[in-house]
Amino acid sequence: MRLQFEPRPTPSLAAQVLAPIAAFALTVVFGSIFFLVLDLDPFETLHVFLVRPLSSANGVSEWLLKASPLILIGLGLAIGFRANVWNIGAEGMFICGAIAAGWFALAFGDGDHAWLLPLMALAGIAGGMAWASVPAFLKVRFGTNEILVTLMLNYVAVLLLGYLVRGPWRDPFGFNFPQTALFGPSALFDPLVGVYRVNTSIFITLVAVGIAWLFVQHTFTSYRMTVGGAAPAAARFAGFRDSHSVWLGLLAGGGCAGLAGMMEVAGPLGQLTGHISPGYGFAAIIVAFIGRLHPFGIVLGGLLLSLLYMGGESAQIMLRLPAALTRTFQGALLFFLLAADFLIYYRPRRVGRR
Amino acid sequence: MARNISRREALKYSAATGAMATGLAGVPRLVAAADPLKVGIVYVSPISEIGWTKQHSLGAEAIADTFGERASITAIDNVWDPQAGERVFAELASTGHGLVFGTSFSHSTPIQKTAPRFPDVAFEHCSGLKHSRNLGTFEAKYYEGTYLAGIAGGHVTESKKLGFIGGFPIPDIVGPGNAMLLGAQSVDPSITCSVIFLNSWFDPAKEKEATAALVAQGCDVICSMTDTATGVQVAEQNGAWSIGYASDMRQFGPTKNLTSFMLDWTSVYVGAARDVLDGTWTSKVRWQGVKEGVVTMSPYNDQLPAGVIDQLTVAEAAIKDGSLHPYRGELRDQQGNVRVAEGSRLSDPDIRGFNWFVEGMVGNLEG
Repeated sequence: MRLQFEPRPTPSLAAQVLAPIAAFALTVVFGSIFFLVLDLDPFETLHVFLVRPLSSANGVSEWLLKASPLILIGLGLAIGFRANVWNIGAEGMFICGAIAAGWFALAFGDGDHAWLLPLMALAGIAGGMAWASVPAFLKVRFGTNEILVTLMLNYVAVLLLGYLVRGPWRDPFGFNFPQTALFGPSALFDPLVGVYRVNTSIFITLVAVGIAWLFVQHTFTSYRMTVGGAAPAAARFAGFRDSHSVWLGLLAGGGCAGLAGMMEVAGPLGQLTGHISPGYGFAAIIVAFIGRLHPFGIVLGGLLLSLLYMGGESAQIMLRLPAALTRTFQGALLFFLLAADFLIYYRPRRVGRR
Repeated sequence: MARNISRREALKYSAATGAMATGLAGVPRLVAAADPLKVGIVYVSPISEIGWTKQHSLGAEAIADTFGERASITAIDNVWDPQAGERVFAELASTGHGLVFGTSFSHSTPIQKTAPRFPDVAFEHCSGLKHSRNLGTFEAKYYEGTYLAGIAGGHVTESKKLGFIGGFPIPDIVGPGNAMLLGAQSVDPSITCSVIFLNSWFDPAKEKEATAALVAQGCDVICSMTDTATGVQVAEQNGAWSIGYASDMRQFGPTKNLTSFMLDWTSVYVGAARDVLDGTWTSKVRWQGVKEGVVTMSPYNDQLPAGVIDQLTVAEAAIKDGSLHPYRGELRDQQGNVRVAEGSRLSDPDIRGFNWFVEGMVGNLEG
């Protein structure tokens, strides 16, 4: 007798609800054993990981600050993913958005201009979209694989940024460190509350969640894209054009990632450096799938991933756990979540020995 | 892109260099410190057996050894991106740590932005160039070490080409690279030095490639100023001499490691912790070298002739008593212009802002 998985005719509603709960329970069990083996108190450790980061105002501020770009990028990527447009290049689009916004910040940041931030936001969107239009054009025109093209363009974007901060845009008083000068106050978002780092750009993400929800639930375009993703042949038969999905999917991903890049440099960073993304573009792919490609799910996914990052640091600070161990625990939670989701669409069946 | 230099920036710059020159003192002390003291330390690269971060962790150990129950240490490693840096500094400062160390030039912006938010916490920043009421800085005169190592290199090189690998083209890397070549040129003025910057403090794969590339270009003495022993290791494998950095790196180059210029920060760490515990901490600018024991040389390779080792011992003593300065004139830049005249030496602010290569260096600062 062995176990086999077969697709469910319709996704299981019970599994949809139970999957995250089961995943969380499995993580707690796994984590407890893992921490016991390491001679740590499992309750204390789980507390440090999942609760402590949010037990101070600064913690909540940092949590939202880190979740915001993950959610925003995840929203954009999900639009493409629903249509089977596999954009792995959000990292590069994030960087290009930041570069485009940074140019305006460096050019006009010393003055007092109310229009500067909105202009930088538009530049960020345009920068991300411009980067995304390369794989979109190549895919539509020449049928290239967008996974490869978007992935490779990430490296090109990193090199472009590296060239700028080491060369023409380097801070003349930065002692040759590869970074630009700090942006002026009018090129920065205001903090939301006093000394905390979370800033007004979080409202942009909130608005984006609303727009994405309206788009997904209430537009025919979104429906066409979803059909195209689920059943390309049927979609073509119905007269839906593939190329629209490709363009829209990639541009949505690029625009959101570029805007997130702008928010990062006009927020916590306040300048361009050689490394402006701590892997947000890649982490957002996980966020999109944890959120099952739904805008509200993505919000939860972004908050969870952000919490895990902070929990990892908090475990390093409070329990002196090495970074590698904290990442193992983070990986376990993500693994269980995605594995449990598998059971929504597939069911296990025992198969007798013939 | 051309940028106008605002007055604010100019003031910032002059304040920084001015503070360096005068060794700034007389800032008001902080509020009375807690006892026991929680000390937070942020490392830029993973803690390993050897290298830059290891030497800082020895400072942490020294605090624990000296003060026992009166001090507890929280260390967090591999923090190099600025977003995480600022969060970690703030987290340490807001969880009862009375003394917080940043250990890298890469921590500059994060620690400079965090310190004003926590005026009751003492911040100490290694490699920092800007300091404020509750942000002190400390730094080593690496160039004294590279100058001595360069003399050793000058005696063994056959190709008359040295190789230098740096993390970033910041003054604290550019200067020591220059000094290594100047040390070698004191033996033979025709020696040159090729330079590669990794744009990372910790990237063993890239460092391995860079070392191999320098050896392939004919460099037969390699010095790598990063957070790993990769340069020493790869030089050994390729039959090139090596100069180690931060820790004694003989075990990674058992036959070809000439020496390492080592860093000992324990006096800085213990001193800062003592001052905070006593409630006498003030932000200081410390810049120390061979004389203070912050920079020391590991035992020289025994393949060096006794005469050379004697010469190195004499040179070290001369640096200690001030009669020998690695940056004494005449110094010319890559274009052959005289930058420091015969009979004088490079000024301290110019050393801390070193952004040009001396004649004989092959490479540029664009990284």
